[in-house]
Amino acid sequence: MKPQLAMVIDSAKCMDCKGCMVACKVANEVPGGHFRNWIKVKEVAEPRPGRGRQGHFQPGACMHCDKPMCVDACPTGATFKDPKDGTVKIDRALCIGCGNCIPACPYGARYRHPVLKVADKCDYCPERRERGLLPACVDTCPTKARVFGDIADPDSEAARLLAANQGRIARVVRADSDTKPNMFYLADTAPADWPHKASITPPMLALTKWALPGVSALIGLAAAGVAAMAARRFLIERDGGGSGHGPGHGTEKEG
Amino acid sequence: MSDPMNSARQGFDPGRRNFLKAAGLLGAGAAASPRVLRALAPAEAQAASVRGEESSVFSACDMCFNRCGLIARVRGGRVTKLDPNPLFTKSRGMLCARGQAGVAQLYDSDRLKTPLLRQGARGEGKWKRISWDEAIALLSAKLEEIGKKYTRCGMLFSAGADMQSAFVNRFAEVYGSFNVTSHESLCLISGNRAFLDTFGEVPFADVLNSRYVIMAGANRFEALVTPDSMDMVEAMKGGAKLVVLDPRFTKTAAMADEWWPIRPGTDMAFMLALCNVIINEKLYDERWVAEKTFGLPELHEHVSAYTPEWAAQETGIPGPEIARIARELAAAAPASLVYPGRRTSDYENSTQIRRSFAIVNALLGNWDKPGGLLAARQVGVKPVPADAPWYDDNPETRVDAHLVPLMFEEEGSFVLTREAVITGEPYPVKGWFVYKTNPMQTAPDRTRTLEMVKAMEFVCVVDIQMSDTAWMADLVLPAPSYLERKDPCQALQGSSACACVVTREPAVPAMFESRPVFDVLKEVAGRLDLAEHFDFTIEEYRAKQLAALNGAADVLARDGVYYNPSKVYGIYDNMGYKTKSAKIELYNQRYITAGLDPLPVYAPPKSPPKEIADSAFRMVVGRSALVTQSSSTNNALLHELVPTNTLWMHPAAAARLGLKDGEMVRVKSPVGEGTQKLHVTAHIREDTVYTETGFGALSKGLSRINGNGLCIAAVLEGKYDSVTGNAAMHETFVSVTKAGGAA
Repeated sequence: MKPQLAMVIDSAKCMDCKGCMVACKVANEVPGGHFRNWIKVKEVAEPRPGRGRQGHFQPGACMHCDKPMCVDACPTGATFKDPKDGTVKIDRALCIGCGNCIPACPYGARYRHPVLKVADKCDYCPERRERGLLPACVDTCPTKARVFGDIADPDSEAARLLAANQGRIARVVRADSDTKPNMFYLADTAPADWPHKASITPPMLALTKWALPGVSALIGLAAAGVAAMAARRFLIERDGGGSGHGPGHGTEKEG
Repeated sequence: MSDPMNSARQGFDPGRRNFLKAAGLLGAGAAASPRVLRALAPAEAQAASVRGEESSVFSACDMCFNRCGLIARVRGGRVTKLDPNPLFTKSRGMLCARGQAGVAQLYDSDRLKTPLLRQGARGEGKWKRISWDEAIALLSAKLEEIGKKYTRCGMLFSAGADMQSAFVNRFAEVYGSFNVTSHESLCLISGNRAFLDTFGEVPFADVLNSRYVIMAGANRFEALVTPDSMDMVEAMKGGAKLVVLDPRFTKTAAMADEWWPIRPGTDMAFMLALCNVIINEKLYDERWVAEKTFGLPELHEHVSAYTPEWAAQETGIPGPEIARIARELAAAAPASLVYPGRRTSDYENSTQIRRSFAIVNALLGNWDKPGGLLAARQVGVKPVPADAPWYDDNPETRVDAHLVPLMFEEEGSFVLTREAVITGEPYPVKGWFVYKTNPMQTAPDRTRTLEMVKAMEFVCVVDIQMSDTAWMADLVLPAPSYLERKDPCQALQGSSACACVVTREPAVPAMFESRPVFDVLKEVAGRLDLAEHFDFTIEEYRAKQLAALNGAADVLARDGVYYNPSKVYGIYDNMGYKTKSAKIELYNQRYITAGLDPLPVYAPPKSPPKEIADSAFRMVVGRSALVTQSSSTNNALLHELVPTNTLWMHPAAAARLGLKDGEMVRVKSPVGEGTQKLHVTAHIREDTVYTETGFGALSKGLSRINGNGLCIAAVLEGKYDSVTGNAAMHETFVSVTKAGGAA
C-alpha cells in the first residue's frame, strides 16, 4: 500500500482552545489574517437547559485528498500530490500565485501568502518531521484530539485508530465536491455542512488537463521549469488512480 | 536512559494516555536526533544557535500560572518555536494557544526596553529614559526615605504569580514591611479558605479517575487548569459524567453531559439540597462519615429545610433534577466530586458558598481516594528562609489586619489594603513596589485603585510591558520575559499526575536593557545595608532549594522536570486531619469563635436597585483559553484571535432594551462605566451579562488593547468576601444602554 500521511481526529475531545492554530502559525510563520488550520464550531443557537453534549468543535486543515481539486486547478503543476507520502504539496518555485487553487478547495484550506505571493496551506510540518517531531498542531494539542501518521503503516497510531473504529469513521465531504479527503473523524463530528462547492475556472481546468505545454508557454516559464512540471504531472498521473487505502475506513459519512 | 528523548519514550507513563505513540513515525523508528529534544547547557545552546544550528532549551511557560514545561527551539539567536516538554505530565505534554504565543510576547514591539521616569502627571504618559544607575539610586533612596518617614511598613509590595516573586517577598521581609499582597486575594483565596477549613488543607481534584463531576463556578475547558482540563476530557471519554452549572453556555457547558443555567449567586442552595438528599436518603458511607467527619447531626438538622423543591425556587433548576443529580453523584462515590474551582472571587459570601461545595465532597467520602479530592504531596523543595532584621518602630500588623475574621496573613487582601492606603488608617502606606501584577486591570473598582495611587508618594513597577499599573507609576523598570531568564526552582503538584519541580534556563539573553527583578533587588539590597540577605546567585539559591533532593539538578538539566514519586492515595490512612476536631469538619468549630456560621447559611443573592431594575443585569466576568487577564490580551498572536471583549446579552433582554447585536453599548455601574460591542446570544441567562477580562487598557504602551473594549475594573464594585477579604466580582449590577455616536 502506498504511504499516506493523514490525520485521524477525535473531535469529541476538542475544547476549541486554539492551541493548534497558534502552534501552526508560529511553526510555519503564517502571516497575520491567515491560518493554515482551524477549529469549526457547531452552532447552538438556543442551548437547552438540562441537555448534554450540545456543542461540538471540529479541528481541521488541508485534508491531503486522494482526489485533490486544487491539483486540477493548478495551471503550473506547483500543486501536486506526492506519491512518496501521499501529501498534497506546493512547490513554491513553480507557483505563480494565480490563486486558482483557492476556490477549488472545498474546505478553504488554502490562502495566498501576501508576502511570498504563492499559495500556502498545511504541509504537515516537514521540517519538524525531519527532526523526529510531530506536526506542530498535533504535538501541542492539550487533549491529543489530533492523531497523525501513515495510515498505510498498520503499526502507526493513526492506522490503529482507524482500524479500531471501523464502521464509525466520518469524513467531512460535500457530495458534489467529494475530494476523497484523508482527514478522518472518529464517530460523530459536527459541523458537517460547511464545505463549499469546489470551483475550478474552466479554462484553467482545460489547460491543465489537456494542454500543459500551452500553459507553460502562456506564462513564459523557463524551459527547465517546464520540463520539471511536465515530469511531475506525468509522475502524478502515472501514480494516481486508486483512491482508497484498503479496507478499514471506507465507510464514509458524507456531510 | 541518558538520552532524554529515549527517556521520554520509554520512561514516560501518563496513565491511560500515551502521547508519544500518537504518531506512527515514532513507532516506525524515524529516530529523532537526540539534539532536538535534549536541552543544552545555556552557553552550549547559545554557541550552537549562533552557528545557525537549532538548539533546545528547557523552560516553564509563564503565559498563565500553570507553568507548563516547555522546550524552546532557538536558531540564529532567536526563539523560533516553543514546544511542550513531553516529559511534563502535569500539562499532559501540551502547550495551549497562550503557551504557543509566548514567542510573540518575547518579540513584542510593545515591550518595555529601558528604565523610565515619569515626567508629567501620573497617567499622562510622559516619560524620560534614564540609566539603570539612576533608576537603582532613585529606588534605593525612595525606599530609605519612606522607611524613615512612615516606618518600613509604609512600603507595600505586590508581586504576581511569577517564579521570581519569592524574591520580592523576601525583599519585603528583610526590608521590614508586613504589607505584601499577591494576586491571590483577587482570585482564589475564598475557595482555599473553605476547603482548608473543612479538610485541614487545600486539595487537588482527581478528575482523571472520577466517574461523576459537578462543576459550578468553574469553566475548565476555557479557563485551563493543568491537568484538570485535559483530564476531564479523558475521563469523559472513559464514561465519566460532567454536570455543569453556569449562567452562561460556556464551552465547558457545551461539552458537558448536562448544563443547567443556574441563577447566579445560588450555588449554595444547590449544594445544600444535595446534602439534604444524600443525608435523608442515607446515600453516604455511614461508617466512613462517622469515623472521618465531625458534625453530621448538626448538618442533618441544618439542611432539613433545604429541600430540592426549595432549591428549585432559588436556582431555577427543577427539584426532581436536583434530587436525581444528588442520587447519581452519591451512587458514583467515592469516585465522584464537586469540583472545588479556582477563581472564587465572586461573592461577598464566597467562602461559605465554597464551604457548601466542600461539605458535599465530605459526604461523598472521596477524600484521599481515586476520583476524589487528593491531599498535597511534598516534593521536597526546601524554602530558603531569610533571617530578617527587627525594626522597632514598625506597627504590629499588616495595614489590612483585623478587618475580616479569616484573612490569609501572607496574601492579605488587596481590596482592604487599598482602602487602608486611601484613608491612611491605621497607619500611612506611601510607597508601592509592584512586580508583574496589574491591579489597575484585575482589582474591581479602578477609580479606587487610582485613588490609592494618588495617595502614594512613590510607585515603582517592574514588568515586561507598560501595564495600566505601570502607566500610573513614577518609575518603570523593564524586566526580561521568562524566555530570557534563569529562575529559581518551583515545586508543582497536579492531582494524581505529579508532584514535580521545574526551573527555567534562558533560551536567549535578556533583551534591550531589561534586568531580572532578582538583580534589581539584589543591587538595592546592597545599597540599603541588606546585602547579606541577597548574597547568592540564582544557581546557589537553587542548590539550597534542592539540597534534600539528591541528583535533582542533573535530572532537571536532562529532562526539564524532576519527579519525586510519592504516595498519591491513602495519605490520611493513619493520620488525623489538621482541623480542631482532627476530623473533616462539616461543622466548623473555629467559625463560632470567629463569629461566623459554623455551617453555611443560605442567603438569596441581592436584587438590583429598584430604580434601575428594568435595565439592570448582574455582571459576571471570566476568560477563555486565549486570555490570561490583562497580561496576554495585548499579545499579537492572541489578539488576532480575540481582538476585543464583547458584552454577552440574551436576545430577549436586548429586544426589551432595543439593542442590536454588534452595536456599541454603554455599560454603567455605581462606580464607573465604559463602552464595548454588544454580543446578542442565547448563551447567557436573561438576567445576566458577561464580559471577558483584560481589555479596555488606559496604557498607551499597550497598543492593541488601549481603549479597546471594556475594562472590568472600571465597572465592577470593590466588594469583598466577608470571611477572607477576597474580591467579590459578581456582586455588581450594571445598566446597559446604546452608546452615543457611531461604533
